[in-house]
Amino acid sequence: MTIVKENSPHIRRKATVTRMMVDVLIALAPTLIFSFVIYPIKTLIFYVISLAIMNAAEFVYVGLRNMMPKDDQKHTFKEKFEHSYKGKYGINNFLTASITAVIFTLIMPAGAPIYAVIIGALVGIVFGKLLFGGLGSNIFNPAAVGMVFAKLCFGNQYKVVEPPSWWFTLVSGPDITTGATPLTLVNGGALSDIGRYDLLSMFFGQMPGTLGEVYKITILIGLIYLLVRRSIDYRIVVSYLGTAFILAFVAGLSVFGLNNEVNPFHFTMYQMLSGGLLFGATFMMTDPVTSPINSPSRWIYGIVAGILTMFIRFFAALPEGVGFSILLANMVAVVLDHYEWSNPRYTWKKFVAMGSLIVVAGLATWLLISFGGFYHA
Amino acid sequence: MIAKTTKIHDTKNLVGALPSVKFLNAKYLYIATANARCPKADVFIKEGDHVDTFQVIGMRHGPFFEQPIHATCSGTFVGYEKHYHRNGKLTDFIKIENDFKDTFDKSIILRTPEEIAKLTKEEMTEIIKDCANVGLGGSSFPTYIKFQTDKPIDTVLINGIECEPYITADHRLMLEYPYRIMDGIKYVMQAFNAKRALICIKSKYKDIKAVYTQVLKEYPNSGIELCCVGNYYPQGWEVEMIKKATGIQLNPGELPSNRGIINFNVSTIVGIYKAIKYNMPVIKRMITITGDGINYPKNFRVRVGTPIKDLIPLCGGYKNPDKEKVFILGGPMMGASVPSDDCIITKTVTSIIVFDKVNEPEQPCVRCGSCVMSCPVHLEPVQIMNAVKCADKERIKKLNPLRCIECGLCSYSCTSKIPVTDYVRKAKVFAKL
Ligand code: SF4
Ligand code: SF4
Repeated sequence: MTIVKENSPHIRRKATVTRMMVDVLIALAPTLIFSFVIYPIKTLIFYVISLAIMNAAEFVYVGLRNMMPKDDQKHTFKEKFEHSYKGKYGINNFLTASITAVIFTLIMPAGAPIYAVIIGALVGIVFGKLLFGGLGSNIFNPAAVGMVFAKLCFGNQYKVVEPPSWWFTLVSGPDITTGATPLTLVNGGALSDIGRYDLLSMFFGQMPGTLGEVYKITILIGLIYLLVRRSIDYRIVVSYLGTAFILAFVAGLSVFGLNNEVNPFHFTMYQMLSGGLLFGATFMMTDPVTSPINSPSRWIYGIVAGILTMFIRFFAALPEGVGFSILLANMVAVVLDHYEWSNPRYTWKKFVAMGSLIVVAGLATWLLISFGGFYHA
Repeated sequence: MIAKTTKIHDTKNLVGALPSVKFLNAKYLYIATANARCPKADVFIKEGDHVDTFQVIGMRHGPFFEQPIHATCSGTFVGYEKHYHRNGKLTDFIKIENDFKDTFDKSIILRTPEEIAKLTKEEMTEIIKDCANVGLGGSSFPTYIKFQTDKPIDTVLINGIECEPYITADHRLMLEYPYRIMDGIKYVMQAFNAKRALICIKSKYKDIKAVYTQVLKEYPNSGIELCCVGNYYPQGWEVEMIKKATGIQLNPGELPSNRGIINFNVSTIVGIYKAIKYNMPVIKRMITITGDGINYPKNFRVRVGTPIKDLIPLCGGYKNPDKEKVFILGGPMMGASVPSDDCIITKTVTSIIVFDKVNEPEQPCVRCGSCVMSCPVHLEPVQIMNAVKCADKERIKKLNPLRCIECGLCSYSCTSKIPVTDYVRKAKVFAKL
């Protein structure tokens, strides 16, 4: 019997990164299936393309990174291959690339051209992740990088694709023939159109939009699964959605007042259920790699991202702020983690900071909207 | 899982219910000449000399104190032999051949209750110093130094929490010798003139609670109470224990005596009891032998100096002897692993744990934050790790690694199976430069 030495502690808990990543994939599955049912061909094409590109990029990257150093001996290809990959490419490399691929597929609009998907996937994985050093080292959420890049470059070539009509009639939804997503309505169109989508059909995703972001019901199932399994940090979800809720309510109050046919509560729920808010909160904000390391910072991170999202929605020339605000918040996360002030204790200062962030943002929303800052033509 | 780790996978209930096996007569007993706190020693006896149990046979020299060495059985001194000490070093041990007569040294007396009642704190300190009592929970800090505090003490805390998983030595001690513990507490309270003593145990141990609710009835108005605290790890760390039991939050680095508190481990208390009552140094202790590399985990009461090799066969030997094993003296979270099973039980060995070696591949850190949430002293182990990787001294210092108590929770909770605690240890070295 051989006895080996090791440093304490000598036991480890069971939870692993692999388990966390598999959990995320499981949580994404209902949404992916739903999107496949509604847009079978689009989903399949987008998904296969991004899965292939992202895994290939990860594979090539691992190979390049662990390349055999040049020496005088001749090595067979097999030797070189083993040197690069043996023990270095594991299940986790596959899982992380696949998660990014699924998320990227689901946040691409159904009307995006295929070359936009290809380029977006490539840019997302290479510039969003691999250049930083692969799993665990990236600053930005790779899926968001890809989506935003594709949108900025090819956004004008996106077509509006309607979900099939059987889907609209399935849950006695309204008869919609417009080509606008609900957010373009708020943002570009007339606000009174807001009544056109009732909240229930938004909840089930009976509206045009991206492949996966619209099915709130399946996203919620995934969210609950992840929270129960503790594979994501509830702090981020709560603070992000909470801030968005407060700001939407303030905006609703100042746009509609209390005695209007569209009440502010309706407007708030409308904001919460439209766009990628819920999807982003569940699958993109909570990516541990790009969120801050300690609990108070995570609250602040969620609050900042929530404010950014709502401000972009209300005041910028973009209908959808989730992707952008997540990228911006990722940068804030880096700042929050700076060793000079990062500290896992909750202090009064931090509570004051969180409170005043929300209050100031709320006030700003109210003032800007009252003075006509709300971006609608 | 992104969450604070508090519960540790445990097998305590496997051995906690087993009574301790008395194994008091090893053929040879080995007494260390040096230990972690005392690197040098003088030995007063020659080869072939006869020794009595409890006889002073040498003196260890530490940096600021001296510690007599006592024989733990009667017999003949047959020479020196090298074995592994708890600290993982090969150390010279005094080898005594047991004559199984157990004749006591003449310094052993029986103090009557009246005599004990007259003892002052200074006299007790002297007795404890001569008996070489140390913290038996694993710290091996000399007890008499704790006794020398001149701060007023009003609360004595007895640490029976034993928060490390797998170990049940203190658990068995509390169940089997409650009266020794109670009398020991009374002596300590008398020494410090303390009004109150709290016996802290985990609230899940119903069996200990049952025993002490009965026993406490025989000590009315003594000020001794049972205090059930949390079940988590590291509840047994003095700062957490004091906070839970008394509500006082110590500042980092503050001594408990500053706040009128003094704390002892239960086995230390039994040691104090023996010293005050009979002048006896600690020559026996409870240990647990457990782990998935052992066939039948058991608790033992053994003489200090017993070689562990004598005990393993009593546990049915090793399970799967063809597998690589890790051999740990102490708990699985903070205990030291030794390179061989050729080691000796010293006063501070609480348990022997034999695990099959697991080699879990290390994954890149995904910044999940579990280590940060779990750290009981509110450090950020992952940031410390990153700073160590860049050898950035400024950053390491700012992150305060010296406050780390090496509880091991950061490595335990890491989802990527990174040995984070090792990096924090490195950071401590850096920070001291
Ligand atoms: S070993 Fe040190 S750094 Fe790690 S959790 Fe324990 S106290 Fe914190
Ligand atoms: S070191 Fe481990 S526990 Fe700490 S953040 Fe990284 S992966 Fe999580």
